[in-house]
Amino acid sequence: MQDVVLALLAKEPSHGYQLRARLRDALGPLGEALNDGQIYVTLTRLEKAGLVTWEPAGEGEGRDRKVYALTPAGQHRVAEWLTEVAWPRPAPTDFHLKLTAAAAARLADPIALVDAQRRELLRLLRDAQRAALAEPPGSVAGLLLEGQVLRLEADLKWLDACEQAWTTRGDRK
Amino acid sequence: MTEAVLRTRKLRKEFGKGDGRVRAVDDVDLAVDAGETVAVMGPSGCGKSTLLHLLGGLQRPTGGEVELGGRRVETMSERALARLRRDRIGFVFQAFHLMPELTAVENVEVPALLAGRSPRAARTTALDLLDQVGLADRTGHLPSALSGGQRQRVAIARALSTEPLVVLADEPTGNLDSAATAEVLRLFDRLHRAGQTLVVVTHDARIAATADRILSMRDGALVDQTVLAGAA
Amino acid sequence: MGRLLLVLRLAWRDVRRRPVEAILALLVMMVATTTLTIGLALNDVTDHPYEQTKAATAGPDAVAGFLSENGAPPASAAVDAITRLPGVTAHGPLMPMAHTTLTLGRRTATVQAWGREPAGGDPVDRPKLTSGGWVGAGSVVLERGFADALGARVGDHVTLGGRSFRIGGTAVSAALPSYPSSLCHLLCFAGIAPGPHAFDLGLVWLTPADLATVHERTTPAVVYLLDLRLADPAAAPAFAAAHGRETAPFLLAWQQIRDADAGVTRSAQTALQVGAVLLALLAVAGLTVLAGRRTLEQTRRVGLLKAVGGTPGLIALVLFVEHLALAVLAAAAALGVGRLLAGRFTAPGAGLLGSSGPATLTASTVAVVIVVALLVALTATLLPALRAARSATITALEAPARTPRRHGRVIALSAALPVPLLLGLRLIGRRPARAALATLSTAVTVTGLVTILTSAAVNARDTGGLHNLRTERLAQVTTTITVMLLVLAAANTVFLTWATVADARHASALARAFGATPDQVTGGLSAAQVVPAAPGALLGVPAGLIVYRAVTQTSFSAPSVAGLAAVLLGSVLAVVVCTAIPAGLGARRPVADVLSAESA
Ligand SMILES: Nc1ncnc2c1ncn2[C@@H]1O[C@H](COP(=O)(O)OP(=O)(O)OP(=O)(O)O)[C@@H](O)[C@H]1O
Ligand SMILES: [Mg+2]
Repeated sequence: MQDVVLALLAKEPSHGYQLRARLRDALGPLGEALNDGQIYVTLTRLEKAGLVTWEPAGEGEGRDRKVYALTPAGQHRVAEWLTEVAWPRPAPTDFHLKLTAAAAARLADPIALVDAQRRELLRLLRDAQRAALAEPPGSVAGLLLEGQVLRLEADLKWLDACEQAWTTRGDRK
Repeated sequence: MTEAVLRTRKLRKEFGKGDGRVRAVDDVDLAVDAGETVAVMGPSGCGKSTLLHLLGGLQRPTGGEVELGGRRVETMSERALARLRRDRIGFVFQAFHLMPELTAVENVEVPALLAGRSPRAARTTALDLLDQVGLADRTGHLPSALSGGQRQRVAIARALSTEPLVVLADEPTGNLDSAATAEVLRLFDRLHRAGQTLVVVTHDARIAATADRILSMRDGALVDQTVLAGAA
Repeated sequence: MGRLLLVLRLAWRDVRRRPVEAILALLVMMVATTTLTIGLALNDVTDHPYEQTKAATAGPDAVAGFLSENGAPPASAAVDAITRLPGVTAHGPLMPMAHTTLTLGRRTATVQAWGREPAGGDPVDRPKLTSGGWVGAGSVVLERGFADALGARVGDHVTLGGRSFRIGGTAVSAALPSYPSSLCHLLCFAGIAPGPHAFDLGLVWLTPADLATVHERTTPAVVYLLDLRLADPAAAPAFAAAHGRETAPFLLAWQQIRDADAGVTRSAQTALQVGAVLLALLAVAGLTVLAGRRTLEQTRRVGLLKAVGGTPGLIALVLFVEHLALAVLAAAAALGVGRLLAGRFTAPGAGLLGSSGPATLTASTVAVVIVVALLVALTATLLPALRAARSATITALEAPARTPRRHGRVIALSAALPVPLLLGLRLIGRRPARAALATLSTAVTVTGLVTILTSAAVNARDTGGLHNLRTERLAQVTTTITVMLLVLAAANTVFLTWATVADARHASALARAFGATPDQVTGGLSAAQVVPAAPGALLGVPAGLIVYRAVTQTSFSAPSVAGLAAVLLGSVLAVVVCTAIPAGLGARRPVADVLSAESA
């Protein structure tokens, strides 16, 4: 979140509400959850870290009067962020460990866990897909939704693989 | 809850004899309501296609009942089955199965012509359906001149041409890439919202996710059901 | 209405997708039905010339014959018993007839010498002169057909029973069939004829006095003939049956003479009808291959039509309509062509007056030809149609390329052979039924050729150097049938090879991908035709002899061994040639094209 706000300020100094609108556009339906206060909390944190400053401008009221801009340290940080290649959650480690643990300690049937998880993912997929179908073609937010759909699809395929693996394991015992 | 359009009781289909006997469909009880979309998923060889063929009267069961629109299917004569297929069922296949010598619009009008509609009425309906599936500019093309996704959309239009009670689709996107799958997906979603009853067998989670219910099949039996409807 | 449109559209599109196949199918059916048309058109062709002759010569309605061992005329009581029978309205004089030999230059023929008064003017049977004058002392008249065959002209001198006569004229008559037909009846029946096969008897008229000198030198036996006019000519056969006896008198109705006269045309007709049967067999074989070649495609089509709700009846209709349409077209063309060709076989013999006119097609001929064409088409499409219509919808729809049968033995055996034979044998193993068709097709062809060869040998024996109308006609007919047989056989071989090439496309592309040369593949495809064709050719030789025997009901002199060997070798060679073209074309398509086309 912090990096995204910094990057949005890299183009030109902006009001807080302008930043919020731009974020909403990019995230589409996924940005609905973003609450108004969150952006100001983030800006305050960045200001404390010395990455952002502000100047009063126009006649607006309260915090809307502030126009935020990057400090040199902030600009440096943006450049660094753009070159980063780390990828969030490359493997569904959590669920994998959950299955292993459940099976080892005989806490639950791994197949049942897989089924439950699949149901959940299918629901997510259905929602994401409906949202994607509702987007007009070529929308930026639609692209993000497609990313979500494809990831869920991959996860569902992996669940099939889990099921098969745990079924054959169970058979062997 | 509305009345079930399609219902099976203790439906069973066996192949082979003696040691080589396979129970492809094993005591399946199923009820599909009007306007409902049901997806059937399961590992390869678990009997999904066989189930669909039994539902559509393309194969005869070893035991049990199939009821479509209140009429028993498994006891029908070959002629009655043929009439049932052309009037009340629309089939969509993984391999499209279009007639290579007929153009898109001619393929779409085949069931209507078989049903004895007048050529003009059949043509009007077919053109309308092709327009709905986004192929208004491809009506005169032979299947060989269409892409996979376009062929499948022609096949779907054909399945709809006699306004069937239920559309049965067997891996409709099995031969398609991601973009073509999206075309079909969009179409199924539209059908669903228009209230078309739809049973679709698929490996594709994206297709399954458009359904109201997903049935999981293992070794010929329905083992699990995921209800997706209403949660939106 | 909509259904009809669909059926027609499917048939029409199918024809348009494969025009060459449709044309070939048409050709094959046409050849067979044309032959049949000619055979049928000849059915009643010579009636009219005979009847014209009978009217022009006051021909008898019945002829009574009295056998006389010593040459003396029959007792007048016996003659009166005949002339006073109810129904007899008039009669001619008693006329002697004897059996003797005629020589003109170096040519010799057996003749019936008939004694007639030089005055003429008899109430019944007045032979019509076509050249020269009537008989007189030392002057004879030859029947025109016989004179033509002999090359005799008025003024020539002939030897009859050792005595020399001048030919005074030529004439036609309805009292005996014209040359080369004959009724040896009179003499063979009396046991005096030279042998059981005294066909091609000539007819000579001369004065009774001259006849007496001739027959005394050869044989004393004479037949006395009495021409009768009946009140009801149509009832002549009944009259003859009621009053004729084994010995004297025997009676002959004019219808029997007319039928014997049709013999020339009849032998042509028999040959054509047998030929038509053989050709129809070939046509069925060819069409079966054509239809069977597309079984897979048709099976899928059927599955598809079933899946979208076509009833079994409608599906059968779709399969049939295309072939039925072709059959009707073929029948129509065959009727036209057959009518034209039939005219070539029907010019009347020189022994008859008038002309037979163009062969006419009766309604029944037209019906028979159309029905046969339809039957041929139906037979060829019946099996695939039944198989397709009966198969479970889903099996039909998802039919993979019908897995060829695997013959472990063939595969093991062929491994030791040269590459072309290896490939050929394995191809046969994949489709044994098709190999059987190749055998059958060759067998039928060779059967036909051997029959023709035999009849040629027999005819050569019969002519005795004479110009023989019947032989000429038969030669004409057999040439026609031979040409048609060869055309059909060639077409069949090409079909078979095509089918094999199409079927083996994938396998041979693979073989080439792994290093077989196009020549080896061509060789393999040819071998797949030649190997089954060879036993077929061998089978055809005895079959041909048997067919000839059965049809003509006569003894035969077997054709020369050299001729038979030529037919055998020739047909196998022809198979090789007909095979090489499609096989060579098939084996030269780029490998990648074939393999990628298969997966599409
Ligand atoms: N005609 C047949 N004869 C014999 N066995 C058959 C036949 N058709 C299907 N089977 C068997 O029945 C079982 C179910 O086949 P089915 O085609 O219904 O599977 P599926 O679930 O559709 O598989 P996939 O996802 O691979 O299409 C399989 O074990 C198959 O081998
Ligand atoms: Mg399947």
